[in-house]
Amino acid sequence: MSFEIKAEGVDVQKIMTSIRKRIEEKRQGLYTEEEIREIAERRLDAVLDAYDFNPDFVKDFRALPSRWNFAFHEDTVYESSRGVVGRILRALRRVLNPVQKLFWNPNPMISALSRQSDLNAYYVHLLTNLAIEVTKLNLELQDLKNRHLALQAKVELDARRERTLEEMVVYREEPGKKGSDGA
Amino acid sequence: MKLGFVVQRYGLDIAGGAEYHCRLVAEHLTRHAEVEVLTTCASDYVTWENHYPEGEEVLNGVRVRRFEVERPRDVYRFAEWSRRVEGPHTEDDERRWLEEEGPLSPRLVAEVALRRSAYDFLVFFSYRYYTTYHGLRAAPERAVLVPTAENDGIHRLSIFPPLFRLPRAIVWNSPEERDMIRADAHNDAVLGDVIGVGSKLPERLDPEGFRRNRGVTGPFLLYVGRIDRNKGCDELFPFFQRYRAETGSALRLVLVGKAVLDVPDDPAIVHLGFLPDQEKWDALAAAEALVIPSRYESLSMVTLEAWWAKRPVLANARCEVLLGQCRRSNGGLYYAHYDEFREALSLVEGDASLRRRLGENGRAYFDAHYAWDIVERKYLELFARLRAEDAARARAS
Repeated sequence: MSFEIKAEGVDVQKIMTSIRKRIEEKRQGLYTEEEIREIAERRLDAVLDAYDFNPDFVKDFRALPSRWNFAFHEDTVYESSRGVVGRILRALRRVLNPVQKLFWNPNPMISALSRQSDLNAYYVHLLTNLAIEVTKLNLELQDLKNRHLALQAKVELDARRERTLEEMVVYREEPGKKGSDGA
Repeated sequence: MKLGFVVQRYGLDIAGGAEYHCRLVAEHLTRHAEVEVLTTCASDYVTWENHYPEGEEVLNGVRVRRFEVERPRDVYRFAEWSRRVEGPHTEDDERRWLEEEGPLSPRLVAEVALRRSAYDFLVFFSYRYYTTYHGLRAAPERAVLVPTAENDGIHRLSIFPPLFRLPRAIVWNSPEERDMIRADAHNDAVLGDVIGVGSKLPERLDPEGFRRNRGVTGPFLLYVGRIDRNKGCDELFPFFQRYRAETGSALRLVLVGKAVLDVPDDPAIVHLGFLPDQEKWDALAAAEALVIPSRYESLSMVTLEAWWAKRPVLANARCEVLLGQCRRSNGGLYYAHYDEFREALSLVEGDASLRRRLGENGRAYFDAHYAWDIVERKYLELFARLRAEDAARARAS
C-alpha cells in the first residue's frame, strides 16, 4: 500500500532540509558581511523609526558625507561661492593674506577644523563597524541561547520521562465534555 | 459475523483518545457485523470508579455490556509501583504494576474467557490496561489488538513483548507505531495492517462564524487538546512568544481545550476552553495552521481533522508518528527545537500559497487513508484474511 502523497511543487522533506541547512549556516556564523550589514542596518532603522526619524537618514548619511560633514583644507577659509565675483574675492583674499596674518594666525584653526572633519568621518566608520560587531555578537548570543534551550529540552525530557507514569494519573478529564480534546 | 470490542471505558461522554477511537470503529462496523462492546462500569480514567450501572445498554446502535471494577485505582500506590518498575524489578513486579494500573475487572476477563466462542473476533483496545492484557491472554485465538501505543517506554516492560506476539492480528495506528513495537516484540509474524481511524466530519465549515462568535481577529495559530506539559504546551508557549518578539509577527495563538497548565498572561495567546465539535471544526477552518507540540502521540486525530479542513500542521518532530505523518502526507512542517519552529512557522505564516498546498496535500492524504469507507474496508479485509486462515486450517485438519 502506498502511503506517500506527492503533490507537485511541495516536498516537505526538501523544505525542512533547506530550513535546517539555513539554520546550520547561521549556527556556524556563516552570515555574509552583506547579510550582517543588512541586519545591523535594519536594527538601526527600527530604532530611528521609533523616534520618527527619516527612514532614509542612515542611507543618506553613509552615501552623502558632504551633506553632513564639512570638507576642510588650507584654502577653504579663502573660498567664495559667488561665481565670478567670488573668484575675484578669493584672489583679493590671497593677495591680502600676508596683511591679515599681521592681525591673527588662521593656521591652528585650519588645522583643527581639518582634523575635526577627518575625525567625523572616522567616527561614522567606527560606529558602523561597532553596529556590525554588536550584530555579530547578538547572533552568537542567539545561537548560544538556542543551544542552551536544546540542552534544557534534553534535561527536561529526561525529567518528563521520569514523571510520565505518575502524571498520567494526576490529570483527569471532565466528563461530559468532548470534541475539543484532540485525541 | 459477530465482533466483540474490549475496552477499558466506553460511553458517549468519554473523550479519551483510545476509547473514542474504539467507539467510532465499533459504531461504523455495525453496518457490516453484529457488534458488542465488553467494558467496565468506569468513567474516570484516573480512579476507574464504577460510574455506569452494571449490565447492558445500547448506545448508537451498539450493544454495550458493562462489568464492575473490583476496586478503584489508588493513585499513590500506582505511582509507587510505577517508580518501582522503572528501576531494577521482576516480572511479578510488572504484573503487580498492571493490577494497580487497572481497571481491575476480573469479571470482564472471565466473561471474555467464558464466552469467547460466541464471537468471531474480539478486538482489544490499548495494550497497557489490565482488561486488554488479561482479556487477550484469555482468548488469543480470536484476538485482534489495537495497541494505540505511544513512545513512552511502557511497551518495553517485559510482560508486553510476549503479549504482542499473541493476537491473530494487530491494527496499527501508524507505520511508526508498528516499527516501534516490532523492534522490541519481534512480532513480525503476526498479521497486521496500518488502519487508524476516521473522524466524525462536519456538514459545513463556518470560519467567519467562529471569528464572529469568539471575537478572534487576524491570523492565528491553533492548538487543540489538553493544555498540558505532557502535550508539549510548556515548550510551545515560550517558543511562540519568542517567535513574535523576534519576528514582529502579528500571529496569535488560540488554544482550545482544558488547561491543566498555566496559560501565559499574554494578549497574543487566547484560551477559549472546551468548544463543541462544530466550533472546533470552524476554528480549524479559520486558523492559518494547527500546531501539535506533543511528543507522545499514537495517531493524533486532530491532525487528521486539520488536514480534512485543508489546514497545514506544524508538528513536533520529536514525535516519530507526527514526523512520519507530515512526511507521508506532505501536509505539514515540523520542528525539533526553537530554530526550526521559527523558520517553519515563519515560512507557513508568510506564504499563503504554501499553506494552501500543504492543506490540500493533507486533505488528499486524509481522503486516501482515513475516510470511513477505507477504514471499514481495511478492517473487513483483515477479518476476511483471518477467516480464510481459519478455513484453511480447518481443511488441513
